[in-house]
Amino acid sequence: MRARALDPGDVLRLVDVLRRDREVLAPFAGRGRDTVFDTVTDANRDRLQVHLPNPYYPPKRFVFPHIQRMLRIDAASGRFEPLHDEKPRAIFGIRSCDVAGIHHQDRFFLGGAFRDVYYERFRKSLFLVNVVCTDPERDIDENCFCVCAETGPAARDHFDLQLMDLGGVFLAVAGSEAGEALFAEPFFRKATPDLVERRRRLLADVRGRFKAATSWYSAATRLITQGKVTEEAWEEVGNRCLECGGCVYVCPACNCFTVTDRKTGPETVERVRIWDACALGGFTRMAGGHNPRKAVHDRRNRRFFRKLAHYFVQRELSVACVGCGRCVNVCHGDVGMPSVVEILRRRSVQDERHEPVR
Amino acid sequence: MGHHLTTCTFCGVGCGILLETSEAGVIGAYPSMSHPTNAGKICVRGWNVHEVVSARDRIRAPLVRRDGELRETGWDEALGLIAERFEAIRRAHGPDAIGFLASSRCSNEETYLLQKLARAVIGTNNVDQGTSVHRFHSVAALTEMLGLPASTASIADLERTGAVLIDEADLARQMPTVGGRVIRAKLRGASLIAVGARRHRVAEHADVFLQTRPHTAVFLYGAMAKIMVDRGLVARSFIQSRCRGYEAFLDRIQDYDVLWAADRCGVSPDRIEEAAVAFARAPSAMILYSPALESQGIEPIQALIDLALLTGNIGKPGAGLLLLAEHNNVQGGCDMGMMPDHLPGYQPVADPAARARLGALWGADLPDRPGLNGHAMLDAAAEGRLKAIWLGRHTPGVTATLRDANESLARLEFVVQQHLFLNEASQNADVVLPVVAFGEERVTFTNLERRIQIAEKVVEPPAGTMPAWEQVVRFARRLGADWRLETSAEVMNEIGRANPHYAAASYDNLARDYGRQWPCTHDRPLGTAELHAPPEAGRRFQFTLIERPETPPDAPKEFPFTLLFAYSLYYWNKNVLIQHSETLKREYQILLLDYPEGFVEIHPDDAAALNVRDGAPIRVVSAAGAVDSFARVTAEIRTGVVCIPFFLHDIVRRLRGPGGAAPGFRTPPTFVRVEKA
Repeated sequence: MRARALDPGDVLRLVDVLRRDREVLAPFAGRGRDTVFDTVTDANRDRLQVHLPNPYYPPKRFVFPHIQRMLRIDAASGRFEPLHDEKPRAIFGIRSCDVAGIHHQDRFFLGGAFRDVYYERFRKSLFLVNVVCTDPERDIDENCFCVCAETGPAARDHFDLQLMDLGGVFLAVAGSEAGEALFAEPFFRKATPDLVERRRRLLADVRGRFKAATSWYSAATRLITQGKVTEEAWEEVGNRCLECGGCVYVCPACNCFTVTDRKTGPETVERVRIWDACALGGFTRMAGGHNPRKAVHDRRNRRFFRKLAHYFVQRELSVACVGCGRCVNVCHGDVGMPSVVEILRRRSVQDERHEPVR
Repeated sequence: MGHHLTTCTFCGVGCGILLETSEAGVIGAYPSMSHPTNAGKICVRGWNVHEVVSARDRIRAPLVRRDGELRETGWDEALGLIAERFEAIRRAHGPDAIGFLASSRCSNEETYLLQKLARAVIGTNNVDQGTSVHRFHSVAALTEMLGLPASTASIADLERTGAVLIDEADLARQMPTVGGRVIRAKLRGASLIAVGARRHRVAEHADVFLQTRPHTAVFLYGAMAKIMVDRGLVARSFIQSRCRGYEAFLDRIQDYDVLWAADRCGVSPDRIEEAAVAFARAPSAMILYSPALESQGIEPIQALIDLALLTGNIGKPGAGLLLLAEHNNVQGGCDMGMMPDHLPGYQPVADPAARARLGALWGADLPDRPGLNGHAMLDAAAEGRLKAIWLGRHTPGVTATLRDANESLARLEFVVQQHLFLNEASQNADVVLPVVAFGEERVTFTNLERRIQIAEKVVEPPAGTMPAWEQVVRFARRLGADWRLETSAEVMNEIGRANPHYAAASYDNLARDYGRQWPCTHDRPLGTAELHAPPEAGRRFQFTLIERPETPPDAPKEFPFTLLFAYSLYYWNKNVLIQHSETLKREYQILLLDYPEGFVEIHPDDAAALNVRDGAPIRVVSAAGAVDSFARVTAEIRTGVVCIPFFLHDIVRRLRGPGGAAPGFRTPPTFVRVEKA
């Protein structure tokens, strides 16, 4: 690996280098557990924190905004112009789970024959500085399970630069040419083999320090793929779902959206793309009234099929879950990923024993 | 880019949310993880609040009706015209010819100033907000039996409770954050008892679901009390040390006939016993009830409070009552005295000392006659006794059930409306004043657990609009009352002097944490999570006798179904804010898309007996009238009951016939028959 060492005191100098030609978003503490990615300015730069809980509002919004203006349309003439307000940005302190999330978005928006130009413009101008979670008290939430999703605590790929706090010194790893170009800065020095060894030992230790949340995907993947999950199992999940959409909104790997036109003046309309959610009843409702997923449990079924079924795992080379734990935090009825995986596994034993599968 | 902690203003939960802003305005919304009420969770409305905030078709200037059309004008002209007309009407017909109707979505500041305007400047007690005609029952029952007319517990108490009893509220649809807490309490092992005619999502989780006939709640709770007493499952030391009137209560409850009550309710007496035992045996228990119960009168609320007293579930963690408010400022509106018979702080209008104290604060002699509530105002308008009305964001056509509000408004000489968007009431308005939206002003709201919270200003309002509270200050000045209130913070300080429970609730104090739960006084500046908790002591609580019930009228043979009026269950599609969000508009109109001309819910067994299929046209007939509608066949509703959603109130009017609207009004059961059309 192309590695360098960095003194903790120089981390902000790295941020300043990035700020020369980019808007840099970095984590800041808010009130209590609320932390945010916010723009670094001269005024707030000293409050930037490396070790703090992962911001709840997912960084996918920097490539896939919650609400995005796409076109301005003149209703009278029918002329329209695309709206682009992307500027070069860097996310400093994006966690490994969220890096995997951005990669999921890349595969969705850019990985097929159709390339989403709106996404592409945001993505091309984004520089990712991944920070590895090393502090079990401050970085790792009780609901994190990236080790189960194999996305963390240290991302292997899909970042431009990765920083890891070894205690007294940071190890920096380049993940792209753009990242490696930064090694020209004077505050990077060569990494020594003992630092690499420290990283290895620290990661092994951190992996063992995750808390209660676990998600044993493989059984759930197998059951879903083989069609062995009963209707009753999905009804158990559906009964606990209050259709808020939160799991979809917070998930780094989710990207449902809807497009709508809004009047902005007597003769002008703007077309916007907004986050949507397959959790919601109207999402699959068709003109004419048919709704293939009208019942809540049918929508839950759909979500976890998309996340875990072998068809998608094969296509994306991973489950569509990064183990960030946000869905556990956001869910009213406690049917986030770990709970659903647990329900499916428990039910497979219960249901197979007593009921024939349809 | 900025991230601002604020309070969601849809429902009475008041979740903590963060708004993300940029030069483009509000660009995102997400939950606060640290907020004690919602702890990282919000509902689909909160997730889309930023879409609503950035809607563009707002009213941008005051509108005055000339030659039949509403035309833009300046603030001075608009306020001047209102002043002129109000003064003329007052001179000719007296101050009681003018009424003030606020919405339960108005902030504390605008509500407080509106009732102050009515009382101290115009000279009338004709003030009301939302559905306070029913809230009256809770205010009366809680004040008499416990001392304070509000939820005794906090929403977070659901984390620690051993049992939850929910009366007739579809939490999953109306207040998902509370619904989630109840489900999680159940998953943690608490007993869940659901009561009501509709089988809703949370009821699916209940250990005991008592699917009662409409209007029978009071019998059910009387039966539960009787069972608890008979089985000795009462909190003796709590009753002895904190309650009065137990002997009389005990004496009367002996006569209660549980089997008879079970029969009236249409549930098995064994299940009632199961519920009573689960509730009484739990180490702590909570009761959640909603306006659906309030509309049935004061007795069912009294019976519920009796159950809490019997089991010692007041004033300890994980226990108590939650009054579910589905509009964000029902609690605050009542606290501000926007009621015809109560001044701020629940002091009666009839109390001369209360009038003198507030009169001194406001520099005026206050009217001593209780005024008209919202329903009565509309009655008076229709009959020509009321001449003018000021609507604070209120759209009576959406919520009025007893008469056609728009017809009543049309009879008035002068109608003023404060609102964000033009709406159906605007067609009768003489002046429309544009207010500012959520996020454009710094004001407070009080949620259902008495938490006074700030909703922050995060963007500038459009030029030409003005915060509603500021409009009232300016208007009062036109009538000669200079209140010297420059900021909403100053209004809050005055509120603290008018309502002793808000005495220490300054903006500085409220902003320090996550608002404060009242009483927030100088000796309790951090607020009060649990009412009536130690060190409060003494025999302050009062049992109310649960009378041996008289046999209420049975459903007559020719009208075998009981009508259930689904309180705002499907109302949200009419909400002007919901209509401005793509996602919310879609989600809240799904039922309307499936049943474009409305619907009446009927159980599959009943539908089969009538040979009616889902979506089929039906005719619903009562003694007062008949309506044609369409069947929605669903197992969510009880047999023998048909359910009509709130917003089809013209249907309800035709079936019920005209009704009274005095305080203490209770909705009587309506019996109907259903025919295939």
